Amino acid sequence: MDIRNPIPTNGGDWLARFQEIWKKQVEILQQKFGDTIEEVRMPPHAPTDVPVIFVKKDQIVEVMNFVKTSPEFDYNFLADITATDEESDPRFEVVYQLFSYTNKNRIRFKVRVSEGDEVPTLVSVWTGANWAEREVFDMFGVRFKGHPDLRRILMDVRWQGHPLRKDYPLRGYQLFTEAEPVDPGLLE
Amino acid sequence: MGKDGSGGFFTTKLDALVNWGRKNSVWPMPFGTSCCGIEMMASLCSDYDMSRFGAEVVRFSPRQSDLLIVAGIINLKMAPVLKTVYDQMSDPKYVMSFGACASSGGIFNVYSVLQGIDTMIPVDVYVPGCPPAPEGVIHALMRLQEMIAKGETHSQRKLAEHQKQQKIGHL
Repeated sequence: MDIRNPIPTNGGDWLARFQEIWKKQVEILQQKFGDTIEEVRMPPHAPTDVPVIFVKKDQIVEVMNFVKTSPEFDYNFLADITATDEESDPRFEVVYQLFSYTNKNRIRFKVRVSEGDEVPTLVSVWTGANWAEREVFDMFGVRFKGHPDLRRILMDVRWQGHPLRKDYPLRGYQLFTEAEPVDPGLLE
Repeated sequence: MGKDGSGGFFTTKLDALVNWGRKNSVWPMPFGTSCCGIEMMASLCSDYDMSRFGAEVVRFSPRQSDLLIVAGIINLKMAPVLKTVYDQMSDPKYVMSFGACASSGGIFNVYSVLQGIDTMIPVDVYVPGCPPAPEGVIHALMRLQEMIAKGETHSQRKLAEHQKQQKIGHL
């Protein structure tokens, strides 16, 4: 038995089914949005990845709204927002991981953003994007346009720099002996 | 007490008696932040039973406890909290650094992790292991009891130093 072959489950061959769904969805996206879809990377034969769709930064809210609400897509769950530091121009890639409860499949959207630029926030589409975007801001320093409360979420408020950037030293300790000052706005 | 401030027969014996009382009623304050906390619970439970050594009353208030058991990784954001908890404890207070992460940062030599709690607060006993076995914890507790009986812990030495300077004798 070749362990690389996917084992058929009760729902049938899920890889074949998903690939059909994904192909159809990418076609619809390219027809509807055209130039906005910069690049599409379909997963290689090994059934371990999902399609990656690069979207232009300014249209991300439109695309995500469409992907969430239209019945062919129905990606109704925002699993995570992360980012990567590519050390090139544009420097960062903001990654959106989506999941569909109806089709049981996943998809990944990416937005390229250069340093100092702002990405439109997704809080209007998914409320849960609030804290995920705060984490991306905390770790990478990517700012989100229109975010209601863009503060650090994990690191100390007095922290200098953004620790998951490639140019941040791995052992850049910043030791504080006194507790973090309380934001007076939060007490109300 | 003699006129020169040195301890006489009665006060030294009283000192020994008080230290005997202290060593047999070490009330721990658990500061379990990760997997070491589970092992600490195991050593407090009936199989290993730390109450045999007078350490059964686990206090979740730093003001009522003597021994701060730091069991687990301390992040840089947690470090000021640990310092506050230590400052809130009343003298004499003892600190046990439980496991590799609390003692040295363990495998996490990165920007977010405190490299050993002894950079923030004085530590009396270190327990090696990842996580340490309950036997190691009990060994550390017995070692701490010896230290308390001899007055060798950090806070007792600090207190003795203070008394020496102020010339107020023992206790």
